[in-house]
Amino acid sequence: MKTLKYIWRNVMRNKLRTTLTILSIGFSLALMTVLHGFMVTQSAWGDEAKKYNRIVALNIQGFSGRLPIAYVEKVRGMEGIVDAVPYAWYGGLYKDEAQMSFAQFATDAEHAFNVWDEFKITPDEHKAWLADKQGCVADRTLAEQQGWKLGDKIPLRSTFYTFPLDLNLVGFFDAPNNTGQIWFHWKYLDEGLRNTNARGDGNAGMLYAKTRTAAVIPDLVKKIDAEYASSEHPVRTQTEAAFAQMFSDMMGNVQGFIQSIGIAVVFSLSLVAANAMAMSMRERTTEIAVLKAIGFPRSRVMRMILGESCLIALLGGILGVSIGCAFLELGHRANPQLFAFGVKALVGPWMLVLLAVSAGIGLVSGIVPSVRAAQLSVIDGLRRVV
Amino acid sequence: MIPLKYNVRNLRVRWITTLMTVIGTGLVVWAMVLTFGLTDGLEHALSISGQPLDLIVLRKGANDETGSNVAQATADQIADLEGVAKNDQGQPLCSAEFVTILTKPRRNNGGTTNLIVRGVDVMSRELRPDFKIVKGRDLKPGVNEAITSENMARRFENLAIGEKLEINKVDFEIVGYFEAGGSSAESEVWTDIRDIASARRTADAISSVNLRARDKESQALLVDKLKNDEQFSLQPLPEPEYFAKQLEQAVFIKFVGLFIAVFLTIGAMFAAANTMFAAVASRGREIGTLRALGFKRRSILLCFLLESVILCLLGGILGCLATLPFNGLSTGTANWATFSEITFAFRFGPRVLLQGVLMSLAMGLLGGLIPAIRAVRLNIVNALREQ
Repeated sequence: MKTLKYIWRNVMRNKLRTTLTILSIGFSLALMTVLHGFMVTQSAWGDEAKKYNRIVALNIQGFSGRLPIAYVEKVRGMEGIVDAVPYAWYGGLYKDEAQMSFAQFATDAEHAFNVWDEFKITPDEHKAWLADKQGCVADRTLAEQQGWKLGDKIPLRSTFYTFPLDLNLVGFFDAPNNTGQIWFHWKYLDEGLRNTNARGDGNAGMLYAKTRTAAVIPDLVKKIDAEYASSEHPVRTQTEAAFAQMFSDMMGNVQGFIQSIGIAVVFSLSLVAANAMAMSMRERTTEIAVLKAIGFPRSRVMRMILGESCLIALLGGILGVSIGCAFLELGHRANPQLFAFGVKALVGPWMLVLLAVSAGIGLVSGIVPSVRAAQLSVIDGLRRVV
Repeated sequence: MIPLKYNVRNLRVRWITTLMTVIGTGLVVWAMVLTFGLTDGLEHALSISGQPLDLIVLRKGANDETGSNVAQATADQIADLEGVAKNDQGQPLCSAEFVTILTKPRRNNGGTTNLIVRGVDVMSRELRPDFKIVKGRDLKPGVNEAITSENMARRFENLAIGEKLEINKVDFEIVGYFEAGGSSAESEVWTDIRDIASARRTADAISSVNLRARDKESQALLVDKLKNDEQFSLQPLPEPEYFAKQLEQAVFIKFVGLFIAVFLTIGAMFAAANTMFAAVASRGREIGTLRALGFKRRSILLCFLLESVILCLLGGILGCLATLPFNGLSTGTANWATFSEITFAFRFGPRVLLQGVLMSLAMGLLGGLIPAIRAVRLNIVNALREQ
């Protein structure tokens, strides 16, 4: 206990130096928190997806390939499937915007909430959607951000299809995390395309299906793939988690890049903190000699110095992780498509790991000064005038 | 004015502290320059792709080639338009191209990602900057052959010479590697437009028409005609504009780069301040002596600022030098505009290196400012009395 008190006093002795070291570690760790938080977001997406036993089928060639709408009915009838829907990305531009700010999907109103059974919609609004051919439902958080109310018109210019949409907002759905999506009737798009002789009709885009249990997924995946393997439009079926993984794979070796930056930062911080500790110790040479002269054992002197450097670094770590979390939360509010989760959903052991890393920086930075102090000869130390 | 030698000697005397600070800031600058180099490489690849006189003609309303289609008859008419540049043989520099995106695996278990396969005709090559075959040979139309860049061959399964890329159960043999001046064409696989159309069994076999205008005036006239003439009613875009749009999608990467830079600079600034505070604290007597000798407050301020700047600049230069082994190293990421892989090389041009040096300068100046002010504020008598 006494040692702790002594350590604290020493930490507070040169407030300026301590503050600067803490801030230096804090800002760098805030950066690492945000970068790691982003990576965790990517994997949390997959983890989240694992809970719901959904599978996704795409044309084997990828997004540009065709998945005939008849496949949906067929898959829906398979043993082990709860329900299945088409899920086609529309890629429309809202009003006069130049870049897409939210995603729109063509799906099946009757079955969609069986596939995403964790999404909630009131029965009235669901009924209203079923009744309105041009109706659509929006994620409630997205609607709040856009300031939409029930009954609003949502006109969409198309970039991918040649058929513009004129949607009526008839309901909201609540998802565990903001999806930033609106859903409309697949049939509305398809009829529009057929009536204008445009390309792309009869295409389900993607197929989303919910299975009864996780255990039946491997067999179902094989079964669906085999069903269409020799057809003109073969498909690749995968779990929703694997599908999510594909998107983070697309980013390339971001993970490696972030890690190499992280290592550089940690290494440079260790040097910075070690520098600060060494400066503190140099000023205290006489004092340490006195402590040893009055009988403090080497181990205690070492403990005190290591404790001091760890405490300073850990304070920096706590500051850094807090700033980082604040940024992640802001990021989630500003751009839910990029930062799919708020801090609450991201809390996990990785934050403790970052704190441990900061304490580790302190430990490493304290080693040289503490060994030096422990080996300090009492006579030399007392004689030295600093 | 206190001679610079004084600072250099001081840094040398406290060489351990100096070295640690220099390496510390060096690493920070290294990480920043690496990030800038990545962004710059991506921007370079996209901007070099846009030739000022070239037009890319899309369906009205389409954002990019993947969502566009143009009828064969229309494409033929475009080639015959007045104002399209001609090559030495008198053929119009105009090509109909078909773009499709396939999901394919990266090498070394790098996951799957989207790959652009472009069906080209003869003129496509002349329309790309510095197109040349660097290994193997060019593809022959009609026999399902394909070419790609060496980068892509390294990054994707089945893209090396002699390997076969499967498209709708048709095998396309890779017969050569090409270069195109580092443009985004080097992120694509090229095959003959008719071969890919038959493999894809599609009726809309043309996504876009690329052409070069004779000069600026004819380009403006062509744009006007293609856009407003009833028989076309298409969306012609000058290539620089088209690729600038894709650059907007790279804003995210740029933002990340800036974010990293700002945070690291602030962190390093505090570290520099720490070192300089210690320098000032341990040199109280020296400062007092200098003042007593008649050096102005101004020169003392400048002296300590300079020392801090030298310290950080050393780190900055070290950090910049440490990025050089990465120069030209190729990497890839998703181009969210086309939803597919784009490969590019890290680029540490003068601008990027200057940015790194400027950052270290900022660290030195801001980090050194308050310690230097403290040095100036020392009371001469007290400072001289100091042990």
